[in-house]
Amino acid sequence: MENTISVILPIKSSLTRDFNEYFDKAITSIKNQLVKPDELVIVHTNEEQLTKLLNEYDFGELNVVKYVWTQEPNYGEQVNYGIKNSKGTWFSIFEFDDEYSAIWFKNVKKYMGYYPEVQAFLPVVVDVDDKNTFAGFTNEATFAANFTMEMGYLTNDTLHNYQNFQTAGAVFNKQVIEDFGGFKPSIKLTFVYEFFLRLTYNSVSIMTIPKIGYKHTNMREGSIFWNYKFSEEKIKDDEVKFWLETAKKEYFFVDDRVIKYTPQTA
Amino acid sequence: MEINVEKIKESISNLRNKNSRIYFMVQDTKGNAKASVKFIYETALTLKKNGFNPIILHEKNDYTGVEKWLGSEYMTELPHKSVENQNLEITPEDFIVLPEIFGFVMDQIKNLPCGKIVLAQSYRYITETLQPGQNWSQFGFLKCITTTEKQKDYIEKVMKNTTFDIIEPTISEYFEPRKLPALPIVAVHTKDQSETINLIKTFYLKFPQYRWFTFKDMRGLSEKEFSDTLKECFLSVWVDDDSAFGTFPLESMACGIPVIGNIPNMQPDWMTDDNGIWVTDKTLLPDYVADFIQNWLEDNIKPEIIESGIKTGESFKNKEQFETSVLKHFSGYLTQRADAFEMQLNQIQK
Repeated sequence: MENTISVILPIKSSLTRDFNEYFDKAITSIKNQLVKPDELVIVHTNEEQLTKLLNEYDFGELNVVKYVWTQEPNYGEQVNYGIKNSKGTWFSIFEFDDEYSAIWFKNVKKYMGYYPEVQAFLPVVVDVDDKNTFAGFTNEATFAANFTMEMGYLTNDTLHNYQNFQTAGAVFNKQVIEDFGGFKPSIKLTFVYEFFLRLTYNSVSIMTIPKIGYKHTNMREGSIFWNYKFSEEKIKDDEVKFWLETAKKEYFFVDDRVIKYTPQTA
Repeated sequence: MEINVEKIKESISNLRNKNSRIYFMVQDTKGNAKASVKFIYETALTLKKNGFNPIILHEKNDYTGVEKWLGSEYMTELPHKSVENQNLEITPEDFIVLPEIFGFVMDQIKNLPCGKIVLAQSYRYITETLQPGQNWSQFGFLKCITTTEKQKDYIEKVMKNTTFDIIEPTISEYFEPRKLPALPIVAVHTKDQSETINLIKTFYLKFPQYRWFTFKDMRGLSEKEFSDTLKECFLSVWVDDDSAFGTFPLESMACGIPVIGNIPNMQPDWMTDDNGIWVTDKTLLPDYVADFIQNWLEDNIKPEIIESGIKTGESFKNKEQFETSVLKHFSGYLTQRADAFEMQLNQIQK
């Protein structure tokens, strides 16, 4: 079967600072791909201003499919919905304040040919702050000496020692989600970590491509993790610990369960 | 007189029939791969396979050998003899091929009646163990084999009265471009290990964001392990001021791996502006490596540097040419010596 890639872009709101600028850069980064993805699936809320912007935006030759998310906005649920409705055999999770590097999907297709057994490809992510200053790399640790069993591959053992891996920009085989489930919306803060733990526990082969594939804006004001750290939704150390422990307990199970943090349960 | 004639006739017969012993002196690398020793073994094995009578000569009885890094074939196919506690049988029709680093042995064997050849693979060591004023010819070493034209030009101006032949080394067929993409590993080969350590430590201190890149010191590996490891790398770094040939960069280039290296004091003939990144200031090597890494991560490496490198490396993989050269020169040495004995015989018989 031919490998086709859908990009899944969940959007909660356009009422955040510099949204238009971020969004334009993000979409331009898809347009600039040397090998373009086959589909862009946008799962957005019915916020009026956002809907208007998406309807009027010039996506050029990109094959764009838009779905309106009418329930309570939730990153994980919107991503899962986008994956379910995507047509590609593979999917990549995208965020409106990030950018793909122009070589990313070209390299993904190349590596798919070289490593047909691999079911997920992670990019080396360049993390920047909101002033676009380099802050570090992510996903690169799979190459660090004496860190993983096999250079470049993410394993469950590695994840138990180090959690800093991210799904944004990564390309997953859709079958993986059908077999082992998508994000678990009830898990706060560590849903990406739990997802990776679950995949590696089920022997999904995950490889980092040693090429810069993605630029991630860290701690943008209004982002999920910014809110966890600075807003009224701020998460305290006890709760961080709780969600980490939860991820480590829940990854054995495919299904999401309703889990709520209360200080007493910590 | 009768005995002399018979001995000369026997010598001529041995030379014409390639039965003359050709002793190749080697150093004990204690199991470490060394291109200069490999060259000697390959020369000897080529001769052996073509009916000559080469013998590997080592200093001590507990010689480590080359089985671990070069292959068992070289130990089993070639007879080995130790200089220690052994009276070597050396007759006038025999030859001793002595690497330049064994200059101190020349004085000890100057009275041996055999043919004497210096094998000078590194111009840097040609005077190392000689006393001031001494040269090879005064010890009877009138023939020298070296490995490059440039090296020959240099040495012949120093070692007068010696004639020179060139046998260009080859690199193994193992060295070919890898089919899978490279990993973020840098192969490092420096003359002194301290230079490798210094390079790595400096690099990590200056560029901590790249600490997930691995540096591999390419010492102490077998040829197969060496080529397998090399093929995983995306970059080679080579530092050797004294090199006259440069096996490591050529092997890297043959694998399609770009090389960053310093320009040796005697620039190799194969080194061009477009087949590698050649620098004059070694202190900048970590910076060059960091620049290269960033470009590699962004797929910005020009394919020309890889293509040109492969072409350069490939040009040294011609084993047939190497063997032809070895056989041509050694046949010539035996023939010349046989002819000299014929002349001597004719004079005696007149």
